[in-house]
Amino acid sequence: MNFRTKLGGALLAAALSTTAFHGAFAADDTIKIGVLHSLSGTMAISETTLKDAMLMMVEEQNKKGGVLGKKLEAVVVDPASDWPLFAEKARQLISQDKVAAVFGCWTSSSRKSVLPVFEELNSILFYPVQYEGEESSRNIFYTGAAPNQQAIPAVDYLANTEGVERWVLAGTDYVYPQTTNKILKAYLMSKGVKEEDIMINYTPFGHSDWQTIVSDIKKFGSAGKKTAVVSTINGDANVPFYKELGNQGIKAEDIPVVAFSVGEEELAGLDTTPLVGHLAAWNYFQSVDAEVNAEFIKTWHAFTKNDKRVTNDPMEAAYIGFNAWVKAVEAAGTTDTDAVLDSIIGVSVPNLSGGTSTVMPNHHITKPVLIGEIQADGQFEVVQETAAVVGDEWSDYLPDSKDLISDWRKPMSCGNFNVATGKCGGKGS
Amino acid sequence: MRSALPPSNSPIPASIRGDIVTTTSFIRAVIAVLFFAFSGPAFAQGTDPRPLFNQLADANFNEAEKLVGEIATTGDPRVVPALNAFSEGDLYFRKSDKAVFAAKPVGLQLELIDPVTGESAGQVAKGAVTKVKVNNNLRRAIRAALGGLTLMSPDRGARLSAADAILRSPSAETLELVETALAKETDAEVKARMEEARAVSLLSSDRSVEDKRAAIETIANLGGREAMRIFSTISSSIDESLKPDVDKAIAKIQGQLQLWDLAQNVWYGMSLGSVLLLAAIGLAITFGVMGIINMAHGEMVMLGAYSTFMVQEVIRDNAPGLFDWSLAIALPVAFLVTGLVGFVIERGVIRFLYGRPLETLLATWGVSLILQQAIRTIFGPTNQEVGNPSWMSGSFPLGGMTITYNRMWIIVFSLTIFFALLFVMKKTAYGLNMRAVTQNRRMASSMGIRTPWVDALTFALGSGIAGIAGVALSQIDNVSPNLGQSYIIDSFMVVVFGGVGNLWGTLVGALSLGILNKFLEPSVGAVLGKILVLVLIILFIQKRPRGLFALKGRAVEA
Amino acid sequence: MITGFILRALEGKIVVAVGILLAVAIIVPALNLLTPPDSALHIPTYAMALMGKYLCYALLALALDLVWGYCGILSLGHGAFFALGGYAMGMYLMRQIGSRGVYGNPDLPDFMVFLNWKELPWFWYGFDMFPFAMAMVLIVPGLLAFVFGWFAFRSRVNGVYLSIITQAMTYALMLAFFRNDMGFGGNNGLTDFKDILGFQVQAGGTRAVLFAMSAIMLALCLIVASAITRSKFGKVLVGVRDAESRVRFLGFRVENIKLFTFVVSAMFAGIAGALFVPQVGIINPGEFAPANSIEVVVWTAVGGRGTLIGPIIGAILVNAGKSYFTGAFPEFWLFALGGLFIAVTLFLPKGIVGTIQHGWNARKALKAAADAEKGRDAGALPAAQQAQAAE
Repeated sequence: MNFRTKLGGALLAAALSTTAFHGAFAADDTIKIGVLHSLSGTMAISETTLKDAMLMMVEEQNKKGGVLGKKLEAVVVDPASDWPLFAEKARQLISQDKVAAVFGCWTSSSRKSVLPVFEELNSILFYPVQYEGEESSRNIFYTGAAPNQQAIPAVDYLANTEGVERWVLAGTDYVYPQTTNKILKAYLMSKGVKEEDIMINYTPFGHSDWQTIVSDIKKFGSAGKKTAVVSTINGDANVPFYKELGNQGIKAEDIPVVAFSVGEEELAGLDTTPLVGHLAAWNYFQSVDAEVNAEFIKTWHAFTKNDKRVTNDPMEAAYIGFNAWVKAVEAAGTTDTDAVLDSIIGVSVPNLSGGTSTVMPNHHITKPVLIGEIQADGQFEVVQETAAVVGDEWSDYLPDSKDLISDWRKPMSCGNFNVATGKCGGKGS
Repeated sequence: MRSALPPSNSPIPASIRGDIVTTTSFIRAVIAVLFFAFSGPAFAQGTDPRPLFNQLADANFNEAEKLVGEIATTGDPRVVPALNAFSEGDLYFRKSDKAVFAAKPVGLQLELIDPVTGESAGQVAKGAVTKVKVNNNLRRAIRAALGGLTLMSPDRGARLSAADAILRSPSAETLELVETALAKETDAEVKARMEEARAVSLLSSDRSVEDKRAAIETIANLGGREAMRIFSTISSSIDESLKPDVDKAIAKIQGQLQLWDLAQNVWYGMSLGSVLLLAAIGLAITFGVMGIINMAHGEMVMLGAYSTFMVQEVIRDNAPGLFDWSLAIALPVAFLVTGLVGFVIERGVIRFLYGRPLETLLATWGVSLILQQAIRTIFGPTNQEVGNPSWMSGSFPLGGMTITYNRMWIIVFSLTIFFALLFVMKKTAYGLNMRAVTQNRRMASSMGIRTPWVDALTFALGSGIAGIAGVALSQIDNVSPNLGQSYIIDSFMVVVFGGVGNLWGTLVGALSLGILNKFLEPSVGAVLGKILVLVLIILFIQKRPRGLFALKGRAVEA
Repeated sequence: MITGFILRALEGKIVVAVGILLAVAIIVPALNLLTPPDSALHIPTYAMALMGKYLCYALLALALDLVWGYCGILSLGHGAFFALGGYAMGMYLMRQIGSRGVYGNPDLPDFMVFLNWKELPWFWYGFDMFPFAMAMVLIVPGLLAFVFGWFAFRSRVNGVYLSIITQAMTYALMLAFFRNDMGFGGNNGLTDFKDILGFQVQAGGTRAVLFAMSAIMLALCLIVASAITRSKFGKVLVGVRDAESRVRFLGFRVENIKLFTFVVSAMFAGIAGALFVPQVGIINPGEFAPANSIEVVVWTAVGGRGTLIGPIIGAILVNAGKSYFTGAFPEFWLFALGGLFIAVTLFLPKGIVGTIQHGWNARKALKAAADAEKGRDAGALPAAQQAQAAE
């Protein structure tokens, strides 16, 4: 008897915990939005900032009177850097909390994990981080950079201004660096760089012993041609990497390193004096000289009550995504997913670098590419800025994706239209 | 991406685009002019550099590069500090009149310094001036210009770096300049460096084949990567008759380099091994000696690193002059903090679990989660900046190897801790008590040893040592709440591989795993290397289930 | 003989637990599919998916309990068997996508296409067939357990050493599966599944069936586990746990006994993984993380090891708690989990079920009650077990 009640009780408790506790349904005068960022586990280091940024933007929007006359309410959950938990939490946000849209995810894995959930339950996700491209979902907006909004302009800068002829592509072994390096290799070879002048190297997550690799880079760089490192090394591994670079005396004037995953936040744990001149490519730097940016930083410092908290590119992407959503909801007059999906395409909102960003039919956005050099104070100084670039979801430099396009406007409404066969759905066969 | 989208070309704004001058040819031009400036009876002081500096206010990067050249050609040695300031990003122009000054911060203001005369031009608010931007190309150009300007500087260090600058970007035009300087040089080291710079420059000049052959000899003796780089740069343009000499020199250097590479690899392995040793040594006590599967060990390392951070914060705010001592101060602090935390954990949790090692695993894992989240709540999840004192930064060459100071000190440090610990364990009364308690608790207790007290102190010691390991690891790794997690598995592997309960086993285990890892890494890559090491450990444990140095006798059964 | 084996398993609490599981397998999907969404009895798909996940975890905990609670092998690598089962299922589901992937390549999964793979690696062959994939769900974890156990038990690696090398095993596998060159999708893993046996994975009906399957498989494995532990073999098993040397001296081949149990347990874990993947929609190397395996140990410890019902309850309770805390108080989840670990090891060394069972027995044996209270509730284990644990 004892055990029956126990087991039954356990199952009941499980069911209850999921329904009753999250059953706090929105009052009629609020619109709920979901914030799906890891607050614990390995990714908390990057994602917590975005959660704070989202809360700040919600607060600011509410000061301005909310959306459609209703207050916004952020529902924060913690997927704990656990990819299946991302899917579970996404489902919870959409079907239990009935949020109008979700802002979240950082890694590609987490996005891949929630993608089927968003398509099944027909909700909207704004994904604010630079990624490898090769995806376009009806229900996701990619406000971070695609490879052509970050990697290719950076390589162009090095080749044209610094005269680089030899390339080390160093990355953490996961999908973003693998894809980006494939694209870069194809791109460089199309520009006449020889295969032996490209060295590709992958390391595990959180790699901390860079002695061998840095000395390999030194060796590779002593072949008489100007050499640069293109780094897609992920978050945690960067601090030891840069420390080793600094200690082994690799100066930016000799072998510059351009990074795609290193921003103000990552440099915050580092003395950047030996790194002055190494580069990063983003769509936003905290040091950008624009009024809207100064305002944003001021609000951020006030909100976090910390004058030292830095801002970074994914925050800008979240900012653009949030404002685009607000504008689209106001244009549609409702938070209904289908209506917002229709009204958001073509919406232009100011970005933090002083221009505007437009949501394109491929669910990516336009934004300028900035190349910045690391300064001794941990900030970047912009040395080149391009005009706004449209995010290219299907790379032109990969054989299987060069014929694909994405256009979510009717009547096409297709994320992978093949222009060679004229059919939707990959090869269209 | 195709026609459905607007074109995605990326025009570069005109302000930045400009004409792209290739750097090397540009530097050559600068130096050529310099040469004439120097070779004259006195350098041409006709042009005043001041207006040239002022032009920097409006210049784009390429124009600025030309201006740097022109400033250098004035040959006026007074511009050297200002050029240095420029390369460090400390050059500003006043918004009101676009006059350019070097500047240094004084409180919240900037003190402006005239770039030519070096006189102060008063203090201004930061908003009143704009920084003159500098990029890598400009820095290179400045370095080359300074090389020419400072070759005959009275300061020995300046001359040395000038010779270095020429060595890095040699050209035929610098040759006579170097020779002039060489004739006047007295310092042996500088002279040697200038000889090398001369040889490199000579190779691209039109001197005789014999001269060049001698130059090749000089460079070959220089050896190392630098010589390889020089040879591979010139080998395409060199005179046919000299090709065999170059090839011979390259072959010789390559032979040397292979040996040095081997030595370098051993060094890297030792350095990785010393990191493993540091991470594992505290665990060798709590796990190895006491038998507690201490999953919170990594968090003790993390607490040590955070103690370092706190110490540095206090020093930065109160006594910046002491910064180089910060690690020395942090050591006892970290030891006490983590030792105390360890003491509390032992008294609060672990003492109830002796004899049940697998349950200590669960409880300490719980402790580790709580400590991690506590640190995350207090300090936030992001990395904290722990600075390297000056004696931990940089590197020095040792033959064909590069030895970085931080790695060297960490090796020294880990060995020091190891031997200190060995001493405590084997030579002190406390160590004797500790060994007695772990070998036979009841007997030790009957002999009048206060076993609970010894247990608590031993766990505190193990934790404290993990803490000071954290001080060292904060110098090479991230200081974040996840720091401990990344070392915990490796630490257990080292202790198990070396043999539980044996400190020497931990030492040998750590160093051999480190070296093995570094020898696998070049051939199979970092990821596969690590996997292979793990697999080898698993296989090794099958062969010797109690590790490299197994304890023998009755202690094994306890 | 087989029927006897099964009948012996069906006794007392096990019958009740199996009954409840089968009832859940019918009632929950029925309430999900047949009641209108606004009905008070309606179970939303979200809750059902969640409960399905808990059931898979419960099966994993049961698998661990079989080796830890009954055989004394604390495996810190059971997550690896779970993940391998999951990958086998994931590979089947990937192959079912066929030409509906974003590139429309009929043979290659998307991640291979954009990494420029030209043809399917050999180890993907056969996974388009459901029976083959299902066989692999059992064979791959079973084989790994066999090879690993064959070496380890023969060289008498045990106790702490065994725990740590199982941890090394799952860690090495995690690193290996993170590599993109391995051909398992690297960090992203396998995801975006379309259908299983022709039914849409996301459809309500499929979900209901998967949920029911999870409950039924858990019930089946419970019966098998019960049959094993109640058989003569089971008695020897407990003997190995409590006094390995004595059992060996009595003439039993201890390593074979351990090996058999380890392999069966790994297969249970594989089944759990295979059921887990279609319900959560993703499998990736994160499942191999050593921390996950340690968490499984905690579920088992919380519920009560050495009881078959305990781990099931432990897994469900802890995970329900995780779902609740990560939603309601995200900052405090780790405090709660960490606190739970400590509290359970200190105050409930037998786990919830073990403690209740103990109290029950104690009440029944009124005479011995006073002694039992004194001797056992202080947290000490029976002497034999203590000696074993210390070894």
